[in-house]
Amino acid sequence: MMVEYIRIAAYLGAGISVGIGAVTTGIGSGIIAGEGAKAIVTQPKANESIFRTMLIGQAAAQTAGIFALVVSMLLIYGGFDVAEGGWFKVAALLSAGVAIGIGSIGPSIGAGYSGGEACKSIARMPKHSNAIMGNMLIGQALSQTSAIFALVVSLLLLYSVPNPEEGISIGRLIFKSVAFLGAGLSIGFGTIGPGAGIGYVAGRANNMIGRFPDEKASIMRTMFVGAAVSESTAIYSLVVAFLLIFAV
Amino acid sequence: MENITLAAGIVKASALLGAGLCMGMGALGPGVGEGFVAGKACEGIARSPENASLITRTMLVGQAVSESTGIYSLVIALLLIFST
Amino acid sequence: MAKKKLSPTLKIFLIFIAIEIAIVAFSGNFSKELKIGFDDGKFIVKNEATHFDLQEKITEEFQIDEHYRQIGEIPKIYNSEKIYNFFKTIFGEATAVGTFNLLRMLLIVDMVLLLMAYLIRKKLFTRPSKPQIMFEMIYVLLEEFVVETLGKEKRHFTPYIVTLFIFIWVCNMIGLVPIPGFMEPTRNLNVPLGLGFIAVVVVHATAIKVKGLWHHLQNYFNPIKNPLFILDLVGEISKVVSISFRLFGNVLGGAIIILVVSSLVKFIVFPVGLNLFFGIFVGTIQAFVFTMLALTYIGVEISE
Repeated sequence: MMVEYIRIAAYLGAGISVGIGAVTTGIGSGIIAGEGAKAIVTQPKANESIFRTMLIGQAAAQTAGIFALVVSMLLIYGGFDVAEGGWFKVAALLSAGVAIGIGSIGPSIGAGYSGGEACKSIARMPKHSNAIMGNMLIGQALSQTSAIFALVVSLLLLYSVPNPEEGISIGRLIFKSVAFLGAGLSIGFGTIGPGAGIGYVAGRANNMIGRFPDEKASIMRTMFVGAAVSESTAIYSLVVAFLLIFAV
Repeated sequence: MENITLAAGIVKASALLGAGLCMGMGALGPGVGEGFVAGKACEGIARSPENASLITRTMLVGQAVSESTGIYSLVIALLLIFST
Repeated sequence: MAKKKLSPTLKIFLIFIAIEIAIVAFSGNFSKELKIGFDDGKFIVKNEATHFDLQEKITEEFQIDEHYRQIGEIPKIYNSEKIYNFFKTIFGEATAVGTFNLLRMLLIVDMVLLLMAYLIRKKLFTRPSKPQIMFEMIYVLLEEFVVETLGKEKRHFTPYIVTLFIFIWVCNMIGLVPIPGFMEPTRNLNVPLGLGFIAVVVVHATAIKVKGLWHHLQNYFNPIKNPLFILDLVGEISKVVSISFRLFGNVLGGAIIILVVSSLVKFIVFPVGLNLFFGIFVGTIQAFVFTMLALTYIGVEISE
């Protein structure tokens, strides 16, 4: 019977993960495509570099969606059809899907905003397209960091959940299982804000490099420091998730 | 191994779920807010690069203040985990 | 004879292949059970070991003591039971292997740093060699940041900042060396936590030196001037937590993702691209961010 529960949890988690992940990566890359189309209208001469930026930006914005896909593949084919782990495993598998699914919302939208701004500013200043594209990629990588945190938590939930001890009391069984769910919810929701926020930072930096290319170094430094500080709430969520997984 | 009854287990379970939700939701606002601050700071530095250190300092102080709600959530989450 | 110039794409591709071959040749973990031959009438490359327990691998990589306790063997790095028992009495049973590994890696990092310093200092020229140019560039760049943030009279902070950057950078890079058992020391939480703690201590020591002890303490323990002083204290602790967990989380996350992807491709191909991204790009950026945050914390504290 336990095997069926574990399978149900794994399939549910896989659906949640790739479902939410696909919606948000769609939105993110849609933003880039829209801005890219607008940019080509305003600056038809630079259509090649805008098109290239749009494609690369969309690929980077889909990273979080690909993470969700990987987790759902692991959930479906990762060998979760043995009764090992019991109720802990049920909660952890469901929670792994929730973590990466919700966790891909913020980074995708953030990376989408950043890529859109890059397309816009290349239309304004086609000469500096390389500098803008480099900055766009770095900014998108920064905003995907929180998605990486969500991926780490969901992989840990998939693979390092202990077996319930012999003769475990019912209360402990319940609260430990719920702790795994809480870990997924914590890192999932916790990455939305930082992901979107860092995306905003990178977008404004792209925009400003398009306007003032001489100030590239100081803009990029501010972007690094600002993005790193905005990430700290995602790190608090990561700490709480680790505590919920390992220390409770 | 201590013996925990069903009722106590449910209480502890809801505390832990609450801790996860608290930190997750609490990280939403500060994340977006700090990102906004940093984005505007990028703009400011691009427009007036001679005030770079002043702008960076203002950015960090502003982010520290807007992060305080995130720290409140962290404190509450830790309390929920360890003191119930 | 005209030299043919390789296109950049081809160059990158060749570098990838070279790194791949080097890793497969040197690393014992990979390619050990690899078999090339005909199977079912097709020429294939297949891995002999069909079953990979990812759970076991993750435990081995990240909770190594737990792993050896579960399988009940003597760890490979000790070779004999006597030495293992000796280290057990020093470090305790729960962390014997992990602590030994960490200390070994830290010693290797220190040796690399000392060797670099020695080699570069041995031949300082007015017409500098390539490594000398690189390190001078790093020094000058970071000195510019220090002067910009703290002012010209606080230039003596540059050695600390440069040391922090180079130490963290070498720590993050050393995981790329394809020798089994090599890992980034920053993957262990104790190292980033120690670095973060030192950074915050430096911040407060500087602030006390500049503003005086009494004036500085008023920021934290004066309920009239600062009614929410307890939250400021929590904020100081959270500085340590956020600065160190940022480094730790990024490095650990990269390591876990590389491990999972390697096991998804059954350890036949080593994910070189992921290693380049997480090792070089993320490692460099996190080292830079750690350094800049330590610097700006000092700047914020002494400028008020």
